[in-house]
Amino acid sequence: MSIPGEVITTHTEDSVVEDATAPRELQAGRSPLRIAAHRIRKDTVAMVCLSIVMLFVLIAIFAGTLADLFNVNLTVGRPAEQLDFLGDGMPLNGPPNYGFDPEHPFGVAPKTANDNLAYWLYGCRTSLVIASTATLFATLIGVVTGLVAGFAGGVVDKVISFVIDLFLTLPFLLMALIIAPIITSRFASDPDYPTIQKFGLVAVLVFFGWMGVARLVRGETMSLREREFIQASRVIGMPTGRILFKELLPNLVAPIVVAVSLMLPGFIAAEAGLAFLGIGVTQGASWGQTILQASPYFEKYPLYLWEPLLGIVILVVALNLLGDAIRDAVDPKTRR
Amino acid sequence: MFAYIIKRLLTGVVVVVLVSMAVFALLWYGPESPARPICVQETSNRCTDERLANFEESMGYNNPIYVEYGKYAKGIFVGREMALGGNTIQCDAPCFGFSFRSRALVWDELIERLPATISLAIGGATLYLLLGIPIGIAAARRRGTLGDKLLVSSFLVISSIPYYLFALVAWLYCTLVWDLPVLGDSGYTPLLDNPAKWFAGLLLPWLCLGIFNCTAYTRYTRGAMVESLSEDYIRTAKAKGLPARTVVYKHGLRSALVPVVTIFGIDLGILLAGTIFTERIFEIQGIGLWGLRAVGSFDLPVISATAMFGAIVIIVSNIIVDVVYGVLDPRVRVS
Amino acid sequence: MKRTKSLAVVAGFAMVTLAACGGDGGDGGGSGSTSKDKFIDPASSFELVEAEGAAPEVEGAEEGGVITVLVPSDPGPEDLDPTNGWSVLGNSIQQALTNRSLTQYRRNPEGGTEVVPDLATDLGTPNEDFTEWTFTIKDGVKWETGDPVTAEEVKNGILRSFDTETFTSGPGQAYTVGWVDCPEDYAGPTKSGDCDAVQADGQELTIRMSKSFPDFNLWSTFMAIGPIPLENSEFPAYGRAPLSTGPYKIPEGGFRVNESLRLVKNDQWDPATDPARHQYADEFLIKFDQDQEKTDQILLSGNADAATTVANSLGATNANALKEALGSNYIQQTGQCISTRTPDYNKIPQLEIRQAIAYGFDFDNVQLASGNIPGVTRIPAQGLMPPGMAGRKEFFPAGEQFAYNPEKAKQLLEEAGEPGFKLTYIYDDSDAETKAGAEAEKAGYEAAGFTVEMIPYQEDAYALFDDADSPINKKLNLRATNWCSDWPAGSTMIPPLVQTGQPYNTSYFSEEEVDQRIEEIATLPIEEQADAWGDLDEMIAQKYLPNIVTAYRNDLFGAGANIGGFTGDAAMSAINYKDLFVKP
Repeated sequence: MSIPGEVITTHTEDSVVEDATAPRELQAGRSPLRIAAHRIRKDTVAMVCLSIVMLFVLIAIFAGTLADLFNVNLTVGRPAEQLDFLGDGMPLNGPPNYGFDPEHPFGVAPKTANDNLAYWLYGCRTSLVIASTATLFATLIGVVTGLVAGFAGGVVDKVISFVIDLFLTLPFLLMALIIAPIITSRFASDPDYPTIQKFGLVAVLVFFGWMGVARLVRGETMSLREREFIQASRVIGMPTGRILFKELLPNLVAPIVVAVSLMLPGFIAAEAGLAFLGIGVTQGASWGQTILQASPYFEKYPLYLWEPLLGIVILVVALNLLGDAIRDAVDPKTRR
Repeated sequence: MFAYIIKRLLTGVVVVVLVSMAVFALLWYGPESPARPICVQETSNRCTDERLANFEESMGYNNPIYVEYGKYAKGIFVGREMALGGNTIQCDAPCFGFSFRSRALVWDELIERLPATISLAIGGATLYLLLGIPIGIAAARRRGTLGDKLLVSSFLVISSIPYYLFALVAWLYCTLVWDLPVLGDSGYTPLLDNPAKWFAGLLLPWLCLGIFNCTAYTRYTRGAMVESLSEDYIRTAKAKGLPARTVVYKHGLRSALVPVVTIFGIDLGILLAGTIFTERIFEIQGIGLWGLRAVGSFDLPVISATAMFGAIVIIVSNIIVDVVYGVLDPRVRVS
Repeated sequence: MKRTKSLAVVAGFAMVTLAACGGDGGDGGGSGSTSKDKFIDPASSFELVEAEGAAPEVEGAEEGGVITVLVPSDPGPEDLDPTNGWSVLGNSIQQALTNRSLTQYRRNPEGGTEVVPDLATDLGTPNEDFTEWTFTIKDGVKWETGDPVTAEEVKNGILRSFDTETFTSGPGQAYTVGWVDCPEDYAGPTKSGDCDAVQADGQELTIRMSKSFPDFNLWSTFMAIGPIPLENSEFPAYGRAPLSTGPYKIPEGGFRVNESLRLVKNDQWDPATDPARHQYADEFLIKFDQDQEKTDQILLSGNADAATTVANSLGATNANALKEALGSNYIQQTGQCISTRTPDYNKIPQLEIRQAIAYGFDFDNVQLASGNIPGVTRIPAQGLMPPGMAGRKEFFPAGEQFAYNPEKAKQLLEEAGEPGFKLTYIYDDSDAETKAGAEAEKAGYEAAGFTVEMIPYQEDAYALFDDADSPINKKLNLRATNWCSDWPAGSTMIPPLVQTGQPYNTSYFSEEEVDQRIEEIATLPIEEQADAWGDLDEMIAQKYLPNIVTAYRNDLFGAGANIGGFTGDAAMSAINYKDLFVKP
């Protein structure tokens, strides 16, 4: 299973933005991030990927507006009027048997006659909201633990490293399997269940996704700790917190950006994967859930399956390639 | 070296114990009542509070958690007797309890499903080594050429696709749309029952695992080969006029393979721990599907056993890899 | 009898046979469209017939071959203990192939259903007021071990069904406990020893009832009223490998819970003792919990494996393609099952509002979203008694067939002075189809002027409805019950759903008048009872409407080209496994 592995490494366009603006706060001129940003700007593949990602982000943010624009919504369809239920069960208008239907640009779903476009738009939002929230928290936890472990050293480091290793031995999917029924049995009858379910999912992703960043930050911190400027700050009696966040952290931005840029697509894939297994988001729209429902119809109604499937694939591939480009750009070893 | 192995083993044991405690605690405190699933099951959905209390009592959920964890841990080594409704079930060591759903011993079910997962994991892993390493070597030797660039970028794209979508599409098309002769027949038949059917049924899942994961190995191998081929001793070997084949395969590959084999060991562990998506998509009755089904029916002992099993397999494979690595590379032992 | 996947519980005994298109006449194909009224006339028969073995041969039957049965979306029975068997799927398979009881069902060549003797020599002899039944067990009936089946063992089986604590899903809790005259706290032979209400003397078996039970020989078709060995039959071990008395037995390791059941020929079964079963195929391989789409695709592919495959259910989207592909091996089987919505009788006392709910139930859209085909697998319903049940009356609860009519519903709400009345009900969000159905239902009610609150709930709904203290249950004012008859009589439909205090009376309906009438009918002469149930059904629906019957249920079964003798078992609402064979 590739998910746990991929979760460890990658990037958000938040950090790209950070990327572009960060150098201004740092010393002018030749900061590594500015070089990296420059490199990325010149990298066609990276820029194409970045535009794709931005497009998806805009879709996610304006899902509601876009749905209104196309005049579609998440409310249930009228299958008795919209489907040929005594025939092959497929829609009477639009794909797969008829041409484009302007009222439902992506077609309607079999059985329910729900609008595919609306579900696709809101599915995109679900996907990105869950993945970016999880990335944010996983990064925070990872950075803090990594900084503390790397800087404090000694027993603290030993304990934190052990915890990191412990978490790395827990198989992500199997753990998600354990936690899913617990969340369901605890909160299924709660009126806020849909929200709780999403937060539960974010928690699971964060819980098993922070170790990569933590390890990375710990390693970098350990090597930076012995450098002169840190030693100097210590000597002049700078408080530890200030050293950590004012001196160390800025120097860690590059590796963190790389880690984050590979974490986000991992989370998106994981979110949809869990929904596909039936243990992720079951409330509201989710691409994985649509794929699960659509896979029986792939032959009769391939569009229904391919819409969410391509959504995930394009977004995840774009994010991964972008992450890869950022890694290359940040890595001083690679030549231009 | 011996001391190193012992130290590694001891840490392994500690980790296993901690993981088992964590899983036990999670399933103890997690659900509102850990006895509810079995109560619902046994009473055909008429689990009243009174009946629930009976089940909690008879299954020991009224005792402190450490007492029950002790019983659980002891059961793994010497077996125990477990209560179910009015009956007692003898659960021989290694006892992981009984399945709420089938009332069979969890260990027996685990053993029954193990061959499917092992067949799947080993076949898939072999395939991705067989595909990944040669392609990686070829790419490294032709580094910088158009072929290399195409290969690297197309593999990057493949490995960026979520695996389960890759497998799902492969299954849908090979089995249902094109109905291919051998590939279309996926499913698990025990090797000893019918070797030909075993092979045919697993071929498509193997290919999916193989093709998808070989991309990573191609990347590792290519990277390691590029690095080792630029080492001084390779230049020396070339300089003294050794044939290119010898240089690449004997000198270059040997040092490049060490990290690759290491990653392979860990990956194999992860595969053995549960190939959930593969088993779910191809309907192979292995550990992963077993765990997934258990989630559907709140079969807590099976859920905990799959998680425990997965963690143990990963821990053990990590230890083996570390030890093997220690043997191959003396520097590791010292640090 | 329960239907595992849907909300349904209890019992599925239908007697009606079903008007399948492309039935035995073999018009082979059938056109694309299906008319909506196909099932209304169930020309069928249900009768008690004294019969002796061996069973009449099925036309064209051959011996040999392996039959694969695919069971989509149903995990199958959790155990095979006969005492615990109360599900349509498990009972239809076990009673046809492995477990014999006192009496059994047989499909006659005309498609009607007969009750014929099984282990007993005849259909039993009741005393005058049906408080005592006597059966004689046939000589020469053997267990798969070769030991003879004795009356003592049948007695053991009957008494064992009193142990409702062990056999929690068994039908004994409803029938043996209710009718067989054992002490109140009697809990089966292992816990409470003997009970003198059941006497075994040689091959003769006498059962004493606590009250008149004229339907005992229908109840005794259940495998729970069959033999259980006196030794080595402890639960749960026996439930994994019960001994067979029928034409097939379970080989070692043949049963894998929720996965598969393999059955091989039982050479100790003597056809001369059995008036209904056959032993044509060499083996049965039943696979549970299959993917519906995959099952459909296998049958559609028509390859060699598919030719000997039987499917226990067909997917709605492929129904037409399958009908064309399978020809006469495509069966539409009517069931004796109803789906109801039960408005809380205390919270919604106005009849107008209950009628408004009926008019606001968007039948077509709800059924489609739930994965059913309106008019094919679910047909619009009227009263509690499904078509084909003796005594059933044709009537309409509100003078006309309830059909989706939002305007009418709004008008009724106005009349009741409750425009925008709020309905609160639960739905299971873990199952995509159930969820989609609930959402379609909501849309229908809203268009009809209701406000709707849906609460996601994944555990057993009946347990919730049964729990008066549950805060969720207290919020609900619209519940649902899916119910099938245990045998085709109004007595297994009406009292469980409308009598005060019954667990499946989920509207909490309670009217003195109705309760009294139910008691009275039980004391009427047998011949008058059926019609009395029909009248009561009409009276309840027109006067009170505590249950809005939303649909009668039909099933779709399919089989490959080489399967012969493929028919529906109207009594069980299932496939008739007794006559299946493989064409060479």
